[in-house]
Amino acid sequence: MSDQANTVPGPSNMPVAVWGRTRRPAKGFSLYGATFSLPLLVWQLLFFVAPLLFLIALSFWSVRNFRLQPDLDVASWLYVYRSGLFWETYLRTLAMAGFAAMLASALAFPCAYAIAFKLAEASRRWAIFLMVIPFFTSYLVRVYSWQVFLSDHGIINAALGSIGLGPYTMLNTLFGTMIGYLTLTFPLVVLLQLFSLMFVDRTLIEAAHNMGAGRLRAVFAVVIPSARVGLVIAALFCFILTFGDFVSPLYLGGGNPPTLSIMITDTTKSGQQWPRAAVIALTMIATLLATAFAAVGYAYRGRGR
Amino acid sequence: MGDRPLVEFDHVTKRFGDMAAVEDLNLTIAKGEFLAIMGSSGCGKTTTLRMLAGLEAPSEGEIRLQGARINDLPSWRRDTPMVWQSLALFPFLNVRENVEFSLRMRGIGGAERRRRAADWLDRLQIGELAERNIAHLSGGQRQRVALARSLVTEPEILLLDEPLSALDAHLKVRMQSVLADLQRQLGITFVYVTHSQSEAFSMADRVVIMSRGRIEQIGAPREIYRTPRTRFVAEFLGSSNIFAGTLVDAIGDGAQVDTPSGRLRLATSPEGFATGDAVVIAVPGDRIELTATLPDAGDNAIEATVMGEEFVGATATVYLEAADGTEMRAQKSHADLEKIDIRTGQKLFVGWRPEHAHVLPPA
Repeated sequence: MSDQANTVPGPSNMPVAVWGRTRRPAKGFSLYGATFSLPLLVWQLLFFVAPLLFLIALSFWSVRNFRLQPDLDVASWLYVYRSGLFWETYLRTLAMAGFAAMLASALAFPCAYAIAFKLAEASRRWAIFLMVIPFFTSYLVRVYSWQVFLSDHGIINAALGSIGLGPYTMLNTLFGTMIGYLTLTFPLVVLLQLFSLMFVDRTLIEAAHNMGAGRLRAVFAVVIPSARVGLVIAALFCFILTFGDFVSPLYLGGGNPPTLSIMITDTTKSGQQWPRAAVIALTMIATLLATAFAAVGYAYRGRGR
Repeated sequence: MGDRPLVEFDHVTKRFGDMAAVEDLNLTIAKGEFLAIMGSSGCGKTTTLRMLAGLEAPSEGEIRLQGARINDLPSWRRDTPMVWQSLALFPFLNVRENVEFSLRMRGIGGAERRRRAADWLDRLQIGELAERNIAHLSGGQRQRVALARSLVTEPEILLLDEPLSALDAHLKVRMQSVLADLQRQLGITFVYVTHSQSEAFSMADRVVIMSRGRIEQIGAPREIYRTPRTRFVAEFLGSSNIFAGTLVDAIGDGAQVDTPSGRLRLATSPEGFATGDAVVIAVPGDRIELTATLPDAGDNAIEATVMGEEFVGATATVYLEAADGTEMRAQKSHADLEKIDIRTGQKLFVGWRPEHAHVLPPA
């Protein structure tokens, strides 16, 4: 009976063969894998590696009589790195982005926590939907509309004035910039935190309560460490977005003192100094890469020890 | 030793929406006893344990711990540590940090914490794993970490929610003896929730059998096994043969019961029943004799057909069916079975002595 079944050719043998093939571990180069990863590869080459190489080359070019010419000159690197204004701006930008990352994380956490743990399934879906809505409108438009609220004669000061307060200068200050940074990153930080909090094992929280941890203690002792990867990635995203942002510091912060992005535009406008702008841009990229590596390393620290 | 029980459940009901997970539960747990709560999934055993741990609040009734009402006392204010089925070890902490956790939450200083954690790790023979990551431990080692973590505060009571169900059979048996020894040494109360009969009956002093939110029977393992109080218990334990019938001739010492499988004798007239009443009889499977010829006149005997055999370790269960369709089972050693070379389809006599039949009390 069983012998007969084995010798019968046909569809019954097919799935086994197919299954056997797909189960083979794909090591080394396989055409199948390459076909699907090709778009990503092309994308990376076209829009990251090629511009980066061009930017590196550009940083060694020289400018003579307001005209850019290919060269192999380190003058731009020396000029930028010897400039006190550059380092001052660099540290300021770093501090602002770092502060924005901490601020957004701190403000987003209670929000994400409540959505993840306090809301019912249906309400949580609505909350996620509401967090996506801001992305429907251009960031630039949202920043412009903040100007209406924050200006000296704007909506907020008018409201405060009616109860005898103010006016407060909010536009063209660090406060304004931070409002803009939060506009850019807050919904994203909430969503990223939320997705990591949703996967925190509820049993671990119960276990913490069971072992003497009150509600707040359990959040710090168990919830935050459990969701660490997501929380760090959320803060990292906020840092990356704000470190290179040009819109908020210019339109809400007034552009003075400048951030690195503003400095880049200023540099290109004054005397066609594209090589110097390239140096600043490359320094920014290096900073972001270093930060990203450090953050991811920190997020996964202790795993698989 | 005190007169007052450690835990009292006083008419406790727990509802989730319209569904009552636990209904009108009355249960006292003594100091130092090993109590197993047993039942199939959804019977309310885990809910009972979680109410004791403070992870669920009862809808009605009162739970008392050492005489004090604890209904609304949050989990972190009671010392009722629990060992979860998943163990719920913190993956972001190493072994020592896991064990120190409840001491840290209670504000005990670093040096003291370390000393007590090391002490408990040594007691559970995992001292050398102190700095290990949780992810790199075996199932049995994790089990020991979870126990150390719960016992480090030296509680009066330990709650265990099917802690062994994830282990393989061999390790399960070893951890059972670790648990039973530990409980005896510490002299604290263990409340052990399980769906496994072998775990409950091998470790516990008393077993509670629950079904649909209610207690079916409480008693020592042997008592429950020999004298199931309800048909549910007898069927749940799965080791007894059940016959339903009508009482006839309830005169003098003996009695007889008319069942579809035939007339069965009882050694004594059952209490609380009159002639003509419906009765249910349970006969433990290991009391059954299987013979090829009709046994002694005094014994009960039903002719039945062998339906199949199942081997578990040193014993085998033989499944049989009487002419009227009643299913029966007999637990025999292999040696016993060799005497009567059993084949499926064979006709045998299922016999037992009248005193081995147990009449379930009136409902």
